[in-house]
Amino acid sequence: MKATIGLVLLFFVAIALTLVVGVRDAGISDLWNAFFAFDANDPTHAVIRSVRVPRLVAGLVAGAGLGMAGTVMQAVTRNPLADPGLLGVNAGAAFAVVVGALLTGYSDSGMMAALAFLGAAIASIAVFLVGGARSGAGSPVRLTLAGVAINALLLSLVSAIILSRNETLEIFRFWVTGSLAQANTRPLEAMFVALVLGAAIAAIIAPRIEALALGSSLARGLGTKPGTVQLSALLAIMLMTGAAVAVAGPIAFVGLVVPPLARRIGRHVLRRELVASAVLGGSMILLADTAGRLVVAPAEIRVGIMTALVGAPVFIFVVRRLKPGALT
Amino acid sequence: MSAEGSGKRIAGGWAVLGGLLFAAVLISLTVGQIMITPAELLRGLMSGTGPGSLTLRVLRGPSTLTAVGAGAVLGASGTIFQILLRNPLAAPDVMGFMSGAGCAVVAGVAFGLLIPLPILAAIGGLVAALLVAGLSFHRGARQSPLTLILVGIGIGFFASAVSSFLVIRMPPQEAADAQRWLTGSLTARNWGHVLQVFGLGALLSIILALQVRAMALLELGDELAAGLGARVGRARYGLICTGVLLATVGVAVAGPVPFVAMMAGPLGMRIAGVRHPASRLTAAAIAGATIMVLAEVISRSAIPGLQLPVGVMTGIMGAPYLLWLLWKEVEAGEV
Repeated sequence: MKATIGLVLLFFVAIALTLVVGVRDAGISDLWNAFFAFDANDPTHAVIRSVRVPRLVAGLVAGAGLGMAGTVMQAVTRNPLADPGLLGVNAGAAFAVVVGALLTGYSDSGMMAALAFLGAAIASIAVFLVGGARSGAGSPVRLTLAGVAINALLLSLVSAIILSRNETLEIFRFWVTGSLAQANTRPLEAMFVALVLGAAIAAIIAPRIEALALGSSLARGLGTKPGTVQLSALLAIMLMTGAAVAVAGPIAFVGLVVPPLARRIGRHVLRRELVASAVLGGSMILLADTAGRLVVAPAEIRVGIMTALVGAPVFIFVVRRLKPGALT
Repeated sequence: MSAEGSGKRIAGGWAVLGGLLFAAVLISLTVGQIMITPAELLRGLMSGTGPGSLTLRVLRGPSTLTAVGAGAVLGASGTIFQILLRNPLAAPDVMGFMSGAGCAVVAGVAFGLLIPLPILAAIGGLVAALLVAGLSFHRGARQSPLTLILVGIGIGFFASAVSSFLVIRMPPQEAADAQRWLTGSLTARNWGHVLQVFGLGALLSIILALQVRAMALLELGDELAAGLGARVGRARYGLICTGVLLATVGVAVAGPVPFVAMMAGPLGMRIAGVRHPASRLTAAAIAGATIMVLAEVISRSAIPGLQLPVGVMTGIMGAPYLLWLLWKEVEAGEV
């Protein structure tokens, strides 16, 4: 209960900070007025509505999507190092969008979204094939290394394409590390719908994923088809990750940091864990983004770098706690 | 070297390896926006005038030779770790030492420190290695090589994030250059870089040559090595230091280029068909140089009028190799 209250508080603090902090400081009263007594001539109101609200929505979609995708991935693979960023699913989405949108010059938001989903799906299938999910439980090491390789390959290709087209450094940075800057130009509504769809699928299959965790023969005895569950999980991961990447670029480590915390709060019930991951993921991205705007103001550190600064030590911590047997 | 199969086959292997490097260097010197024939190069080399000479002295010579030097030190470095940890994935690029070196260099530039780049890189690499070793110990027990590799990957993530963080503080043009360098870049190299990488590389090679005997003993396993008179702990730490420093010499001139150190060893060993550590190190150095030179020429001429950072190219070449390695191990039921 305490943890839940803390979580809700954290969430609201993160939202408030995102709206208030920035080059143009706004107070709580400005915030209230921007929504309930909007004055079109007040620049602070304009900034809040046209810049910070989209940023907030993008942060929430990306954070919730990556947090929940990470939780689903870790539950299905039983690998505490599974994260859509580290396993290359984000990079797959980014790669598909960059290839499709930049090369054809056709950057309609619906097209971008479709490409992001396609890329996410292909990359996750590739990682699981190479990572050896087919031969039973893929070992964390193999899966992580497969992710490292796929990430390196796809992000190198993304760099090559962007650099060869003389795009701006800003575009390069967005598609290589992820950022919430210029969130107002992203397809927020469509991606929100995709996120909800993915979350719904995850929630529906959650009990079956839990049954699968007991072992596939036992799960079959309980009437669960492992193949169907894994395929649905893949669909959910694809929708949630694709949505996150389309609004915020390939942000890593959210799906690594969030699930273990969500397990504590959700007390090992997957549906509760999913809700907790969505809230935690959203808070993490918003707080990281706000911190990134504060430390070097008026410049800003992209949110993907901030999550990596937090996430890399967590990665090492998780590796240290892996059981020796889990490595082989 | 009688244990290494027939002498003829070995000699053939070395010839192929050397031939590949020679071909790569020749391609790198002749191919580009302006094509130069080998004859013109030779004329330039002899007479010291004409387009061939300009290409050798200014346009392509320094970059190509820097690539040779950097690839060689990276290849040797990767092989040291691959032999010590008995794992093809153990390499300074995978394990974050090179990212650590890169991070230290960027920090030096960002804070305006007046320390030479090779020293900064060496400090960064050694700190990263210390962190990897220290963080891999858990409850007093030494961990498996895979734990070391994973912790190293984590340190690499962290160092890269810190580098990106520092880059933001720089003025825009400097930031763009630093970003490029962090990918691994060989643009605008001069004879100073060539001298630096070959000088430091030669110095470390001499030190490494003195350690090779101990390395061969360590390969037999710690107990047997100790029985045969090796001071196991000291030998291992010495080799780790040499390996890290070799990698940072490469980083200082070419940035933290991914995957060359990891690929060079197995490739060189396979082509030359050798097994003894000294031969493996030499083969890896030649293979590393070849990979680097090829990556350099492709990154510079694949897209007309544009120089991609060489690290983008080694990333595209190396990642499939890593995937293949993992795939093979899945098939074999290892790892």
